[in-house]
Amino acid sequence: MNNTPLVQLENVSRIYQQGKLQVAAVTDFSLEVQCGEFSVLCGPSGSGKTTILNLIGALDEPSQGRVLLEGRDLAQLGRSDLARLRRDRIGFVFQSYNLNPVLTACENAEFVLALQNIPHAQRRQRVMAVLAEVGMAELAERRPDELSGGQQQRVAIARAIVSRPAIVLADEPTANVDSATAAAILELMERLNHEQGVTFLFSTHDQRVMDRAHRLIHLRDGRLERDEVRG
Amino acid sequence: MQLGTMAWRTLMRNKRRSVITAFSVGFGVLLSVTFTASGDYAYTNMINTSAVMGLGHLSVEHPDFRDTPTLDKRLVDAEAVQQRVLQISGVTGALVRIMGQAMFASGAKSVGGAFIAIDPAQETPAHNIFLRTLIEGQCFSAGEDRGVVVGAKMAEKLNLRLGKKLIFTMTDKNGELVSELGRVSGIFRTGDDSVDGGVVLLPLDLVRKALGYEPTAASLVAIFLEDHRAAKTIQGDLAQLWSRSKEITVLTWQESQADLAGLIAVDQLFNYLLQFLVGLVIAAGIMNTLLMSVMERQREFGIMMALGMMPGQVVRLVLLESCWLGILGLALGVVITTPWFLYMTRIGLDFSGQIGTDYSAGGVLIDPVMKFRLYRESAMWIAWAVFFLTIVAAIFPAFKAGRMTPVENLKQG
Ligand SMILES: Nc1ncnc2c1ncn2[C@@H]1O[C@H](COP(=O)(O)OP(=O)(O)OP(=O)(O)O)[C@@H](O)[C@H]1O
Ligand SMILES: [Mg+2]
Repeated sequence: MNNTPLVQLENVSRIYQQGKLQVAAVTDFSLEVQCGEFSVLCGPSGSGKTTILNLIGALDEPSQGRVLLEGRDLAQLGRSDLARLRRDRIGFVFQSYNLNPVLTACENAEFVLALQNIPHAQRRQRVMAVLAEVGMAELAERRPDELSGGQQQRVAIARAIVSRPAIVLADEPTANVDSATAAAILELMERLNHEQGVTFLFSTHDQRVMDRAHRLIHLRDGRLERDEVRG
Repeated sequence: MQLGTMAWRTLMRNKRRSVITAFSVGFGVLLSVTFTASGDYAYTNMINTSAVMGLGHLSVEHPDFRDTPTLDKRLVDAEAVQQRVLQISGVTGALVRIMGQAMFASGAKSVGGAFIAIDPAQETPAHNIFLRTLIEGQCFSAGEDRGVVVGAKMAEKLNLRLGKKLIFTMTDKNGELVSELGRVSGIFRTGDDSVDGGVVLLPLDLVRKALGYEPTAASLVAIFLEDHRAAKTIQGDLAQLWSRSKEITVLTWQESQADLAGLIAVDQLFNYLLQFLVGLVIAAGIMNTLLMSVMERQREFGIMMALGMMPGQVVRLVLLESCWLGILGLALGVVITTPWFLYMTRIGLDFSGQIGTDYSAGGVLIDPVMKFRLYRESAMWIAWAVFFLTIVAAIFPAFKAGRMTPVENLKQG
């Protein structure tokens, strides 16, 4: 894995068929993401951020080009291999309604570990440590509808990192929370990146979020506009 | 977090919808138990009634007797057959009888009918409906070699009273006409006019002598079982026992009373068909509930699949939800069915006002009181059917949930 980039997109296009109309969500897009990055996909609404995250997350397939994760071409993998890859190598945080409403915070956070068939006791131990990390240990037994939006996102982040994935993909993780909460969530992700070396790639169109990114990948109309790396 | 727990909690999320659906399943159980248990009771009753009218649950006969019941066809050593049969477990009685046609006459009048020649020392009301329905006099006793018991209708036609003479004429084993004289010792009334006007009980020894039979010969041995459902098995055992004898055959009540067996089979078929239709309607309801629930949760499925849940696990989750629905439905079904079932097994509904007390079908008197009786296998059958239907109803929604790709699902909501 030494020199192989974590994520490679090679001339990727994604064209949606909408009736007779073809919508090019992403066009001829190339990107490399290295281990340990804290990068942001930014751009106006409809610029293709979600589409790109879905492609990297093995949730969607490109119309053209290749997507590689840890050097493996996703097009070569079958449905269950992809599911296994998502389970073991990728963490997801979505914009909202991330959590399963019938599970407690703790059960939500251990969902991926349960899918990995990790024994219950070990699961609990790891999850409680991570929930403490994100400041949710006290509220572990609550159901999502008993938590605020920000608290729900923390649980979602805990769920994304507890299985120690290669990369955490977050689609506008702060879009539905107030700015103070957004700052706290961002700080949490930054700290996890810094202390535990978790690779983050997230999308946003929030200027305050962009200010904290180490790398800004600017998108416009499904094309790369500018790739800006900061100190 | 186990899938089963998750499935249960998901079901309880929309409590009202789930409970209403479960109630429809429970109602199906109620209907199914009603149909099945009234059938089980009525069929058992009819079969047992028919058995005590002469032939038993099984009858051992000469192979040609059923097709051409002339009196030359007989079991030469019926007593030995009887002794052997009595050793078999599940057999509550085996009775040596001669059955055939005869002319009965008194004074000026005469009528044709059937006779059953019995050994009064062995017969009991439990195995003989005519002894159970005596309205006057009693059965001839063992020493009383010329006693006869006639039906009330025949007594009326022939102007007979207790102690009156009855002459009966039959064809003996050589095809010769023989006549004997009897005296009325008892009169029975079953309620079925054709039986009450056409059946006469005669003493076995007298008939044997009249027909020229050997001292242990008879036309059949009627076998009574604890449970009529054992008839086929015991028939098989007995057939094996006498497989080398060309003179002995064993018939089940289904074979000797084809009318009754046919009637029951047709009734049962309608019963099943009705239950199947009810089941279909309920299954459609379950499917609708699950489909709604699956469609509402598309985004949830999308997220779970994004997190690495396999399509097969999604399918399993929905199937488990359906299982819980089935279990809940079965439990509610037991709760609402039990009081009704207990009432119907103990008291029952009396339809004698509607159909009278002398209603018969397939040659058998029908009990005007509708009661329940549920065989264990019928109850198991209903439970399995409920389970099977809920699973079948879940297949389409489950695969719908599992077939979608995570992005499609994530788009929703
Ligand atoms: N399933 C689809 N069918 C057709 N067009 C689609 C589909 N999904 C996305 N698109 C189109 O692709 C383009 C990119 O969409 P995408 O969701 O990636 O944008 P985005 O940058 O995430 O926008 P936002 O900031 O609003 O979330 C848009 O023009 C969108 O309308
Ligand atoms: Mg988006």
